[in-house]
Amino acid sequence: MAQEITMLHDVARCSACRACMVACKQWHDLPADMSTPFEGQYQSHKDLTSTTWNLIQMHERVDGAGKFHWDFFKKQCMHCGDPACMNGCPEEAIEKKAGGAVVINPDKCVGCGYCTANCPFGIPKVDAESHKSTKCDLCYDRIAEGMEPACSKTCTADAIRFGSQADMLARAQERVDILRAEGHPDANVYNPQGVGGVHMVYVLPEKPAVYGLPENPQTPASINIWKDVVRPVGKIAGVGAIAGVLGLTALTAMRGKGDK
Amino acid sequence: MLVNKKYVKRHTKGFVYLHWINALCFFMLFLTALPLYADTFRFLYDLLGARTLQNAHRFFAVIFVLNPIVGLITAREGIWRMFSEVLKFNGKDITFLIKFPLELIGKHPEGVPKQGFYNGGERMNIALQLATWGVLVGSGALLWFGEGLIDNSIRAWMIPLHSLCAGIGFAGSIGHIYLALVANPDSVHGMQDGTIKVDYANVHHGEWIDDMVRDGKINRQELNDALKR
Repeated sequence: MAQEITMLHDVARCSACRACMVACKQWHDLPADMSTPFEGQYQSHKDLTSTTWNLIQMHERVDGAGKFHWDFFKKQCMHCGDPACMNGCPEEAIEKKAGGAVVINPDKCVGCGYCTANCPFGIPKVDAESHKSTKCDLCYDRIAEGMEPACSKTCTADAIRFGSQADMLARAQERVDILRAEGHPDANVYNPQGVGGVHMVYVLPEKPAVYGLPENPQTPASINIWKDVVRPVGKIAGVGAIAGVLGLTALTAMRGKGDK
Repeated sequence: MLVNKKYVKRHTKGFVYLHWINALCFFMLFLTALPLYADTFRFLYDLLGARTLQNAHRFFAVIFVLNPIVGLITAREGIWRMFSEVLKFNGKDITFLIKFPLELIGKHPEGVPKQGFYNGGERMNIALQLATWGVLVGSGALLWFGEGLIDNSIRAWMIPLHSLCAGIGFAGSIGHIYLALVANPDSVHGMQDGTIKVDYANVHHGEWIDDMVRDGKINRQELNDALKR
C-alpha cells in the first residue's frame, strides 16, 4: 500500500519569491495568466484561476499592537482526506490517489462546476476554453516516479516541504513549538479534520482566519443528501409519476371514459 | 358574454403564451440537466456535448426567469388571478382534493363542492409551481453567479435544493399533463385560444360560473341555452 504523503507550507519561512508559482506553471505547461485584474500590489493574481493553480497571497495587515505584518500564504488545493469535490462530482471525474493527492481526470470532467460550489476552500476553477475543471494535482505524476512536487523542489526558503505524512506533521509541530516560543502564541498546524484532514498542511504563525482560512471547514453534508436522497427519490418520483399516469390512462381507455 | 354561444373566456392571450413558454422552458431545462441528474442520460452529453447542453440550460434559464416578469405586463390579470386564487384555498378545496381522485378511477363521488376559477388541485399545483420556480431560480442563480459572493458552505446546498425542485417540478408536470390531456381534455382548450366549453366550466368550476352570472358577465338565459345544447 502506497505511503500517504503530505506537503507542508511553513508560512513563517515563506519569502514570497514565487519560484513555486513559476515551477508549477513550467511543469504543467500552464500559460502566463493575465485574466485577473491587477490591483496595484505585489500579489500577482487576485485569485487562483484555471491556469494558475498555486498562488502566493501577499496580505498586508496591522495587528492589535500596531505592528505591521506582510503575510505570505500559498493558496492551492488542500488535497482533503474526504474531498468534497470528489464526493460531489456527478461524473466521478475526481479521484484520490493512493498517496492522498486529489486529481481531476479531464477526460471524464464535463465542466459542470459542482466541485467549485462544494469545495469549502473555493479551489477548483472551470476553464472557459476547455470547459474542464482544474486545480493543483500535487504533481501526482512526479510523485509516482519517486520525485517531489515541482513547487517543493524549487522552494528557495525551505518553506515548502514534502514527504511522508508522519514526517511532515512532526516537522510542522516542531515548527509551531518554535514559533510559540518566539512570541507567536496562536501558532498552529492547519490540518482541519472536518474535511478528513488534508495533504497540504500549513504552519500558521497566527489563527487561520488571519489568512482567510475557515476555522473549521467541513465536507458539506449537502453532498450525501444530494447523492443518497434527492437524486434517487427524484428518479423514483419521476418514473413513478410516468408509470402512474400511463396506468391511469390505460384504465381510462379500458373503461371508455374521459371527460368529453 | 359567451363566445360562439358555447365557450366562456377564461384566459387572456398573454397568459396562454406565458403558460406555453413556461412549459417549454421547464422541459428544456429538465432535459438539458438530465445527464447530471441520472447516469442513464449521460449519452446526451456524448451526443450533443456537455458545454452545449450546459449553455442551453443557462439560455432557457434566462427565458424561464424573464417570462413571468414580462408576464407582469402582458398577463397581469392572469398572474393576479393565480395569486389571489391560491390565497383563497379553503375547506371546500380540501373536500374536493379528497373526493376527486375517485373520478380518476371511474367512480362518481358525491358531495363534491362547487369549485371556483381554479379548483383545489389547480390551486395546489399553482402554489407548488410558484414555490419551485422561486427556489429553482434562486438556487440556480447562486450556482451560476454566486462564486465569491456567498460562502461555499451555503452555496453547496444549492445543488441538492436545485435538484429537489427539479424532481418535484417534473413529477408535478407529469400529473398536470395527464389531468389536462387525459382526465379532463376539455380543459386544454383554455390553453389554446383562452376559452373553455361552458358546460365543462359549469360542472368543474361551478362557483366561478355562478359568480360571473351574478356579476352580469354571463347572461343567465345565454347560459341555460348553452347548457341545453
